[in-house]
Amino acid sequence: MNVAVKPAPVANKLKSTRIAGGLVNQYWEMVWRAKQEGKLICWYEGSAINPFLQAADICWVHGEAYSAMLAARHQEGPAQKAAEERGYMKELCSYARTHLGCAVSNQRNRNDTDTGVSNAPDDDDLASKLPPPDMIISAYAYCSTGQQWDEMTSRVFGKKIPIFNVSLPWIWGAKKDAGYLRGQEWLETSKYVERQLYDMVKFIEERTGKPYPWDRLRELMGQVKKASTLRLEAMDMCTARPAPASFFDWVVSIAPINNLTVGPEIVDYFQAVKDEVAARVAAGEGAVPREKYRLFFDGIMNWNKVGWLAEKFARYDAAVVVGRYTHMAFWQEPDLIDAADPVLGMAQNYLICPNNHAAPILTDLIMDLCRKYEVDGMVIHASRTCRAFTNPQFLIADAAHKRLGIQTTMFEGDVTDESFYKDELLNSRVEAMLEAIDARRIAAA
Amino acid sequence: MKYYMMGIDFGSTTAKTVILDLKGRIVASRVAHMGAVSGDGVRASIDGALEDAGLTQAQMGRVVSTGYGRRMLDVADKNYTEITCHARGAVAMVPDARLVIDIGGQDSKVIAVDTNGLVSQFAMNDRCAAGTGKFLETLARAMQVELQDMGGIALEASETLKISSMCATFAETEVISLLAEGKTKPDVLGAVHAAIASRTMGLVGRVGKKGPVVMTGGVAKNAAAVHHIEQELGMPLILPSDPQIAGALGAALLALDDFRAEHKSAITTLLADDDAFEAQMQADKACAPNCRGNPVLAAALADARATPPPHSPAELAVPEGKKSLWQKIQNHI
Repeated sequence: MNVAVKPAPVANKLKSTRIAGGLVNQYWEMVWRAKQEGKLICWYEGSAINPFLQAADICWVHGEAYSAMLAARHQEGPAQKAAEERGYMKELCSYARTHLGCAVSNQRNRNDTDTGVSNAPDDDDLASKLPPPDMIISAYAYCSTGQQWDEMTSRVFGKKIPIFNVSLPWIWGAKKDAGYLRGQEWLETSKYVERQLYDMVKFIEERTGKPYPWDRLRELMGQVKKASTLRLEAMDMCTARPAPASFFDWVVSIAPINNLTVGPEIVDYFQAVKDEVAARVAAGEGAVPREKYRLFFDGIMNWNKVGWLAEKFARYDAAVVVGRYTHMAFWQEPDLIDAADPVLGMAQNYLICPNNHAAPILTDLIMDLCRKYEVDGMVIHASRTCRAFTNPQFLIADAAHKRLGIQTTMFEGDVTDESFYKDELLNSRVEAMLEAIDARRIAAA
Repeated sequence: MKYYMMGIDFGSTTAKTVILDLKGRIVASRVAHMGAVSGDGVRASIDGALEDAGLTQAQMGRVVSTGYGRRMLDVADKNYTEITCHARGAVAMVPDARLVIDIGGQDSKVIAVDTNGLVSQFAMNDRCAAGTGKFLETLARAMQVELQDMGGIALEASETLKISSMCATFAETEVISLLAEGKTKPDVLGAVHAAIASRTMGLVGRVGKKGPVVMTGGVAKNAAAVHHIEQELGMPLILPSDPQIAGALGAALLALDDFRAEHKSAITTLLADDDAFEAQMQADKACAPNCRGNPVLAAALADARATPPPHSPAELAVPEGKKSLWQKIQNHI
């Protein structure tokens, strides 16, 4: 008996997102040469505090972004091995594990006697290429690993790196007036974080020995606001049928809005993306050659599987049109930012990380997105080492089923450790969901 | 004209084949135990069913496959997932069923079906084999008992023990530790079956508990597994006489749907005087992508989509000059 092979259509990715690859390379090249250029380097995780750092001419390294970049290039192995040798177990957040592995590799580079079985790194080893920090800023909403990750990083570097901690409280949403972006809790919490950000600026001034350039921050946040607005406008156009861009196009577009160098380039990038999306809507061109299903993707990204998953869903004629990770994060409320006085709006955008709301608010937001984009089903990626994102997923699935009557399915994977992903499990679950959608459509016809 | 339909469930540890005639009656079925996704196993299952029916492959009008190896069979005209096929097969066996629990060799699944027999929600075990037939096989080997004897021995348990491990391999270690502590085989096996029931209930919780519940798959033949699941569920399980063939039966019924859709007029002429056949054709419009559906369901779906989301009390403060933002906030009140 022979194996039957179905010819695979190719996902029609946005051409404009190719620009992101160049921007990403430019940014990391800047990071890798920052020490030689005498720049201070700050490691941080979670919230996009990079404009604060860029304004002060400090080189910024976002931990998850570095781990994701390694995974996307399939070069995460040496860092993860180094972290494991240091004693960080496999169940630890793989973003943290990969990034800590970079710290370990970097320290090994300075100490030839401690090479471990993963051996001393060479010039092509991106794990060890990451320059060590001069400071760490911890500003992580919801994630319980974040602060410990920074603490562990500090230990790897001999506890000599100054750390500043920004506390981003959980939005409980329990009081009567509570809700998305409203109520006393929201206002008080916003002010609380805003005050800490001003303290963080003092910490930055102590490191640089210079007065903080507020005008520069205002300029950068004006560009962030423009870029974010263009991004959301382009996303909104994907309510069209067929959807002109997919969740995976927006995944590729995370770096430009979240951690790359802020400047006219990112505004131009999202303008180009928006223009292409608009052209596709006008031409009736879809991100998937034959759009038969529209899906919501809940869960953080499998960074070593972005292209793989884009192709897989395209082969199923499934347009993944919207997702929690892409559509509910990364400066997703630009209207909150006053470019002339941006700190409060920045604090508020940090607070609305999609994990940081009580489940009722989170679930309502997701259901609204499902309605807006008219999805037929929901694929849930349960990331093995990111329980922060995974915690509410049964609640979300239950709400999707009961409130919208749509099918859901869940598969396990991970952010940067592909050993947790098993292709056949995803295939069976997605195919079963699509078959159930087919059956209901035919029954309803 | 070819008058028979074949469904093949090419599973992880067994292969099952069902042959139906044009009226949907089972002509033959065969289960072959030949190891993991075995080509020999599926061949034996197909050949055995054809031999029992006195038919040849050439007489099969349509062949549908399911199971882990469903894409590997070039004799199949179509393939569907286990979820679709098991739901279809189980509902054919027990038409009133609203929940299907299927525990097979490598996976366990719980499928909720609505009043039209359509899959409304499903959940499957993750990559871990705990709670599956493989879990029982591993522990039978560790305890040196025959797989088919496990259930009977487990029902003789007098002490309640607990196997807490979620991993089949670690559960084996736990079992060996309990035996080393002097616990009896029946008590340890009782705990093994309780662990399976516990895992199954986790899946039931995800799709919602509702009855009647039908259990299919090889583990449905294990009396202790059935007992513990019934205890946890608090309701009886309906056990088809041949629970292992549910997936293959579902696949064969899907083949029949497909064949009927393509040859409806010819079949109607052929069987015009058979009222029962006509009635069945009308009744079987459920579960599968090729079924025709029902207007009541369509109306319900349309109503559900037309229902607007709840709106806000008016007393809430409006941020100035931020209309789109306010609209978003309003949507979440």
